[in-house]
Amino acid sequence: MKIKIIISTLAVVLGLAAGFYFFRPHTFHGTVIQSPEPSFDFTLTSMNGDVSLSDYRGKLVLIYFGYTFCPDICPATLANVGQALREIGAKAEDVQLIMISLDPERDTPEKLAEYVAHFYPSFIGITGSDEKLAEITSLYGIFYEKHEGTAATGYLIDHTATLLVIDREGYLKLVFPFGVTTEEIADDLKYMLRQ
Amino acid sequence: MNKYFLGGLYSLLALIIISAFAFKIFQPIKVLPRMQLSPAFDLTDQSNGRLTSEDLRGQFVLYTFMYTHCPAPCYNINETIQEVQSRLDEVELDGIEVSFVTISFDPDRDTASALQTYADSINADTEQWSFATTTNKSLLKTIIGSGFETYYEDKGDGSFAFDPSFVLVDGWGIVRAEYRYATEVSNADRILRHLGVLADEVRNSTGSAKLAYEAAHLFLCYAP
Repeated sequence: MKIKIIISTLAVVLGLAAGFYFFRPHTFHGTVIQSPEPSFDFTLTSMNGDVSLSDYRGKLVLIYFGYTFCPDICPATLANVGQALREIGAKAEDVQLIMISLDPERDTPEKLAEYVAHFYPSFIGITGSDEKLAEITSLYGIFYEKHEGTAATGYLIDHTATLLVIDREGYLKLVFPFGVTTEEIADDLKYMLRQ
Repeated sequence: MNKYFLGGLYSLLALIIISAFAFKIFQPIKVLPRMQLSPAFDLTDQSNGRLTSEDLRGQFVLYTFMYTHCPAPCYNINETIQEVQSRLDEVELDGIEVSFVTISFDPDRDTASALQTYADSINADTEQWSFATTTNKSLLKTIIGSGFETYYEDKGDGSFAFDPSFVLVDGWGIVRAEYRYATEVSNADRILRHLGVLADEVRNSTGSAKLAYEAAHLFLCYAP
C-alpha cells in the first residue's frame, strides 16, 4: 500500500511538472501588442495593381519596411522570414509578407516584385507616393530618412527595422526587433497559426 | 492503478485552473498594457533643432498636446508635467531617462522662437522637456490625431478645441498609458506610479521572470 502511495505521489508530481511545462502560455519572441483597434488600413501599388492590408484579412500578415538598395538589414530580415516560412511548411499559405518600399524613386513595382521573389515566392512588394508613405510609416512607428551613400550605392535610407505581424482579424499582434532569428519567427508564427 | 492515475490527472488540472484563477485574482505582478505603436515623427523643437521619434528610443516619454495661446491654466497640463518632473526621484528608474514632449498643433503661430519664449515663460526645464511641431499640417494631424488619438480642431478664431491628453510611451516606442480626462485634479500621482510599473517591468522581466510578466499581460493584470 505504501509503495502505491509513493508511486501515485510521484506520478502526481511528475504530472504537475509535465502539465505546467506543456500547458504554460506561449512565450512570444516578439513583443506582444494588445491593440484595441484594427491596424491602419493602407493601399499601395504592386506590380499587379493596388494592394490593401485588408485584402489579407484571414491570414497572418507580416509587414516590413525597407528598400531594394538596402545593403544589409533588409535582405537579412527577408531571408529569415523566407526560411521561417519554409520551416512552417504547408501552413505558410496562411502567412503573407508585404514589403513596403521607402524608396519609390528607385523601387518600381516591377523591380520590387523581382526583388522580394528572391526570398520567398509569395512575398509582395508595394510602394506609393511620399505623402502616403509618410502617413503609413508614422502610424506604424517607422522612422526613415535619406542620407548620402557612396558613388556605388547612391543614397541610402536609414529606417526602423522592425518586423510587424498583423493577426487574422487585422490587429497588430507582434513586433519583432531587428536581429530576430528564423527559429524565433517560425516559433511565434506556428503558435499564431494554431489559434 | 487507474484510479490513482485519474486522481493525479484531476489534481493536475485542478491545480492549473486554481493557479490561473489565483494569478488573475491576486495579480501578484502589475503591468501596463501594450496598447499600440507610438507614431514616428520628425519635428522641429524650441531650439530650432530636429526632434525625432528615434531620438527618444530607450526613454520613457510623456507626450502632451497643446498650443501656446491656450488660455491659462490650459487644463493644468504644464502644472502636471512640472509636478511629475519635480517628483521623479520618488520612482526607482534605474537610470532610465524620462522625457517630456509637448507637441503644438498650431504651427502657424508656434514657431521655434515662440515655443522657446513660451518655455521660458513657464520656467520649463528644456533639458528634459521639449516643445515641438511641424509646418506639415497634414502630417501633424496624422501624428497627433491618428497616431496619438488626440482630438484637436482649429475653431478659426485663434482658438482650438482639443482633448487635454497625456500619453506615456515606453523605450520600445509602444504606448503604455493614456490620461484623457480634463479634471481639476492632477494626474501626477498616477503617472508617477505608472513610471514605476514600467521601470519594474524593464528591471525584472528577464529570464524565467519574463514568463510571469507575460502571464500578467495575458491575464490583463493592469496597474490602476
